[in-house]
Amino acid sequence: MIILLKKELSYYLNNAVGYIVIILFAVFANFLFMRDAFVTGSVSMRSFFNLIPWLFLIFIPAVVMRSLSEEKRLNTVEILLTLPISETQIILSKFITHLILLFFSLFLTMLIPASFTILSGFYIPEIVIGYAGCLIMGASFISISLFFSSQTKNQIISFLLSSLGLFLLIGISSELFSSFLPKSMQDILIFLGPINHFQNFIKGIIDLRSVFYFTSISIVFIFLTIVQLEKRD
Amino acid sequence: MISLSRLTKKFGHKTAVKDFTFSAKKGEIIGFLGPNGAGKTTTMRLILGYLSPSSGTIIVNGLNPGRERVQMLQKIGYLPENNPLYPEMKVIEYLRFVSSLKKEEDLTTVIDSVGLNDVYDEKIDELSRGYKQRVGLAAALCGNPDILILDEPTSGLDPLEQKKIRDLIKRLSKYKTILFSTHILSEIEDVAGRVIIINKGEKIYDGIKPKQKGGVEQLFRRIVRDS
Repeated sequence: MIILLKKELSYYLNNAVGYIVIILFAVFANFLFMRDAFVTGSVSMRSFFNLIPWLFLIFIPAVVMRSLSEEKRLNTVEILLTLPISETQIILSKFITHLILLFFSLFLTMLIPASFTILSGFYIPEIVIGYAGCLIMGASFISISLFFSSQTKNQIISFLLSSLGLFLLIGISSELFSSFLPKSMQDILIFLGPINHFQNFIKGIIDLRSVFYFTSISIVFIFLTIVQLEKRD
Repeated sequence: MISLSRLTKKFGHKTAVKDFTFSAKKGEIIGFLGPNGAGKTTTMRLILGYLSPSSGTIIVNGLNPGRERVQMLQKIGYLPENNPLYPEMKVIEYLRFVSSLKKEEDLTTVIDSVGLNDVYDEKIDELSRGYKQRVGLAAALCGNPDILILDEPTSGLDPLEQKKIRDLIKRLSKYKTILFSTHILSEIEDVAGRVIIINKGEKIYDGIKPKQKGGVEQLFRRIVRDS
């Protein structure tokens, strides 16, 4: 497992694409925070965190898209599956690698909020819980993107499918979509979508139902990806 | 070392391998011969546990590839068809990765035996086709496997490179069971001790390679015509 993890991480460490995507994410996220701070004159982490699911919608599929589709295109998946490693180890190593990348990407967005914290006195536990929410929601988005990456040999299709899948997941709980539906349906869809659960973290609340929700999505999609990799006939 | 019994593999309605039975002992070099789509690659993938059989049994080194694939692959080296590699990795990084998984860290012997001393610090993407083939072969040799399965190991190489790879296979055969597939009849004549001819998924010949020059070609043409 560690050997596989090293191989996966070394791809991003030795490749400019990895750095570019992470830096772009950090620059974009910091820009949005600064825009709020200087244009609207309000300094709030909540408005920044509210943008995170939409940033992840593009950023996570863009990083994860090559993960399995490229292995399939080059047929290096045949090398992996004829080495003494299991399908579970292959998928978990890819999942953890992207989680580490996400951690560093989020870490880079902390620089400006951290400096504002010193100046204006944000409530630190709330920020920490907000970032933990970003990480746990990001993990579930990574597992969804990994699954779509296992469906095709084409990276672009993988990216589009992942983004569309995440967009629908986020969209079902949005007011725009649910306002067309009866109240009882609205409540169900809001529970099924990630936004409502993520809001708890933004407010500084660790709700175990939300932790369970994101963890369940991660486990289900990792499992489905493993099953997909096992289907070779 | 390898034992297949009444092995059948179907993809939907198409039967890729039918009732295939054979066994291989230590030190044998077995050449798989057959036209395109005959079932050579499928048979190799079944032995490796990459594909699962529709019926029949496979035992490799006393292990079942379906249930004990990871353990079994510890002592099998495989060079897949078209030699897929990670283009962005350096030769040494790739070989370290494979050898670590095979729990054998020493790469000096492998690099020496396939002649990669001049290029081990280069990116795989920048190598010539011949060197890439050697990298694939080196990866198959990592971990000092008992069994080597080579799917068209000289495909796309120039005659000089082909000869080097054949010589290497012959040298290795003293210690290992080698199963290789090829379209090149002279390759079987030069390297293999035993020939298995497959056509339309069925084994149609299994025996000692004919000794006279051109014997394999005559045998192949006669058998494929008659089948």
